[in-house]
Amino acid sequence: MALDPPVPLLSVRDVSKSFEGTTVIEDCSLEVGWGEMVSLLGPSGCGKTTLLRIIAGLERADQGTIHIAGTQVAGNGIWDRPEDRNVGMVFQDWALFPHLDVFRNVGYGVPRGKRAAEVAKTLELVNLPGMQDRMPETLSGGQQQRVALARALAPQPTALLLDEPFSNLDSALRREVRTEVRQLLQSTGMTAVFVTHDREEALVLGDRVAVMDAGRIVQIGSPAEIYQQPANPWVASFIGDVSVYPADADGSIAHADFGSIPLLEARHGPVEVAVRPEDMELRSDDSGTATHTVEDFEFQGADSMVTVANPAGTRLLARVSGTQSLSPGDRVCPAYTGSPAAAFPRSDLD
Amino acid sequence: MQPPAIRSSAVLKVVAILVTIGFAFPAGYLVWRNFTFHSDPLGVLFSQRTQGPLLRTLRLAVLVSASTAAFGTALAWLTTRCDIPFRRVWQALLPLPLVFPTFIGAAALIRTLNPGGLLSDWLDNLGLVWDVEVRGLFGAWLALTLFTYPYVYLPVAARLRRLPGSAEETARLLGDSPLSIIRRVVLPQTATAISAGTLLVFLYAISDFGAVQLMRYDTLSRAIYTTRLNNQPVSMALSVILLVLAAVVVLVERGATRRYEHAAPVRSRSPVIYRLGRAKPIAVAFLAGSVALALLGPLASLADWSIDGIRLEASGGRDLLVGWDDVWAPTWHTAYGSILAAVVSVAVVLPAAYLVVRHRSRIGTVANAVIVSAFALPGILIGLALLFWTLKTDIGSHLRNTLVLLVFAYIVRFGGQTMRTSQVAVAAVSSRLTDAARTLGASWARRFRSLELPLMAPGLLAGGGLVMLSVMKELPITLLIAPFDFPTLTTKAFNSIEEAFVAEAGIWSGVLVVLSGVLTWFFIVRRADHFD
Repeated sequence: MALDPPVPLLSVRDVSKSFEGTTVIEDCSLEVGWGEMVSLLGPSGCGKTTLLRIIAGLERADQGTIHIAGTQVAGNGIWDRPEDRNVGMVFQDWALFPHLDVFRNVGYGVPRGKRAAEVAKTLELVNLPGMQDRMPETLSGGQQQRVALARALAPQPTALLLDEPFSNLDSALRREVRTEVRQLLQSTGMTAVFVTHDREEALVLGDRVAVMDAGRIVQIGSPAEIYQQPANPWVASFIGDVSVYPADADGSIAHADFGSIPLLEARHGPVEVAVRPEDMELRSDDSGTATHTVEDFEFQGADSMVTVANPAGTRLLARVSGTQSLSPGDRVCPAYTGSPAAAFPRSDLD
Repeated sequence: MQPPAIRSSAVLKVVAILVTIGFAFPAGYLVWRNFTFHSDPLGVLFSQRTQGPLLRTLRLAVLVSASTAAFGTALAWLTTRCDIPFRRVWQALLPLPLVFPTFIGAAALIRTLNPGGLLSDWLDNLGLVWDVEVRGLFGAWLALTLFTYPYVYLPVAARLRRLPGSAEETARLLGDSPLSIIRRVVLPQTATAISAGTLLVFLYAISDFGAVQLMRYDTLSRAIYTTRLNNQPVSMALSVILLVLAAVVVLVERGATRRYEHAAPVRSRSPVIYRLGRAKPIAVAFLAGSVALALLGPLASLADWSIDGIRLEASGGRDLLVGWDDVWAPTWHTAYGSILAAVVSVAVVLPAAYLVVRHRSRIGTVANAVIVSAFALPGILIGLALLFWTLKTDIGSHLRNTLVLLVFAYIVRFGGQTMRTSQVAVAAVSSRLTDAARTLGASWARRFRSLELPLMAPGLLAGGGLVMLSVMKELPITLLIAPFDFPTLTTKAFNSIEEAFVAEAGIWSGVLVVLSGVLTWFFIVRRADHFD
């Protein structure tokens, strides 16, 4: 697309859904631009898969509207069936048709006349040439994953929805396939929405990340924004290791018991600061003024994760270089060395 | 636009309701007719005429259930858990007595074991005298035990094969002796399979017509048959009593399954094999004797009848009353009727299976209960109800002597057999697959044709196969309502046995046994693991 069309490719507005009286999705809104990749990240049971299925048309929302490429497909009495939405979907268990070979799986959504050409082209794209006659159960997990992707891409859908597409792969393979899929989708300019509960996956794959909790979208932003400027302590801790540490804010500086922390936004009074472990340093107790004691030390190779606590027992995580060796009971002086951090009024947690 | 899931389930519900009414119709008509007939079932119940057949039915069913439970379980134990030589051969042979309709089995037993039969001829040569007469209660009990024990053997063997060895090994490590392990560990875990099989046998025994007719043992079903022409009120009243008996059994079965619902799931692993030691020759002799009596003996006597007849004709004696056409036409009718009943059964039960599995609808639950319970309805009742219906009502009279009515009766009698396999088949098609097909743009019709049907095919075929096998061996319904120009192998064989045309009976029975043998092999022996 040379020109950005004026409307977003996918627009979800105020969608709600409940099953038998239990609210699963509440007032979710999301816009996805042409060629953009968005991750829907959340713990299991937060409703992210339901939202994806509502977009696909496999579930009906109770409220709200959905537009695809400017056309309304759901809401206000309109409801297009999933088979009419031209949205591709890759399922968590891939849902390959077990009785059909690779050719007939990939060609299932392609009109008969174009089938042979499209299937060959798509299999080339996902790097599975010459596999057309194989049955799904004879393929490895990674190959099945690619067949599922090819099957969803072959009819040239307007957008691609992926429901935990890598969760069935073992962790070594997952990383490799993830990179492949990202490159492939970027090269085809495909608009995609991923559902995942794996924060690393969400950060790597998404141009933007939408964080969901208990049926609501709590924050949408670029991976860096989500990581560095979490909207609340829950997002901060869900998106990565974090210590929510008490401090007293005075404008753009917060004073903690070990020293000061620069803040993103000016605040006043008691706050909790989201402190990332990699933003902490642990200095040895040269002057005898150490405030913290090492509670736990985990050597992880390139670096180590250290848990320290102040006399009141409040814990703080620090990621230190693998060459620094500490033992439980050592006295240390923590120091904040990172960029400005997010702070929340203390009452947030009460 | 409405989503197709909702629209199609409305159609499914209507179809399921109609099918349910169809399955309930014969029993319903019987009860209704009984009251409008003034046949006074309560009065008849306490009359001498009724109490005899009722008591005889109960006595026979209890005896047969007890003996099949013991016999079937023992055979299953020996062939799955003991170091018997040629285990796979025994496992293949032991379900095979199912190929005999009980009336053919009973006729063969009479021919083999009675004085003047094969056994006494053979013993005569050895200078021994044999004068045990196989008839009456003893004969009916023997025939039903020998030809229905597979209903216990199959589920028990399947269960014993699947029981994980770990519990038995644990008991052993805790110092239990093998006999006490069987009693305290194995039997409790097998109890559901034994009781399920035994209930099936009990139902079979109260509904059986063939064996009791040939053994001249006057149970309810035989009394219904003999009084149907000249004393219809009594016949009707007896029918209601039999109906109530079957209903009680079904209710007991329901209660029992509910109680056992929480039985521990059984996972497949290699079972523990027990060493028989010095008891091995006795065990082998027991197995060989069982196969000889229930399978080889009857086969030998069928062959004996046919060969005798053919030899007699060839040597210029009595001419056989059967030509090639007389064999071909009933064979074709049997095959045609049973295939038709099987296909339609699968088709009409499938909507209810969908409702139960996919939509979890209440209509599905009711349909399921009615369709499955109809399987407990003795064939003689269905035949009688529909016969009277065609004789007494205007609508019914149009269906008198038609294939439609016969196939309808077969479906009511045996269609319930496809319910479980159909439900398994429907459940086997994951909703993710249909979801995937929908996002790929496939319509309802295309999804059904390209995904659901091929994926369900093995399960549907298995259910249809069971119906085919049952219809092929069916006697009382066919006897009562088959069109005059539609003789089947069972009616031909039964009439020739009753009229003592032994050679003809042998030929027709032989063809029937070969046909049902092929089906038994495909749908029962090869799938023996699925009967748990």
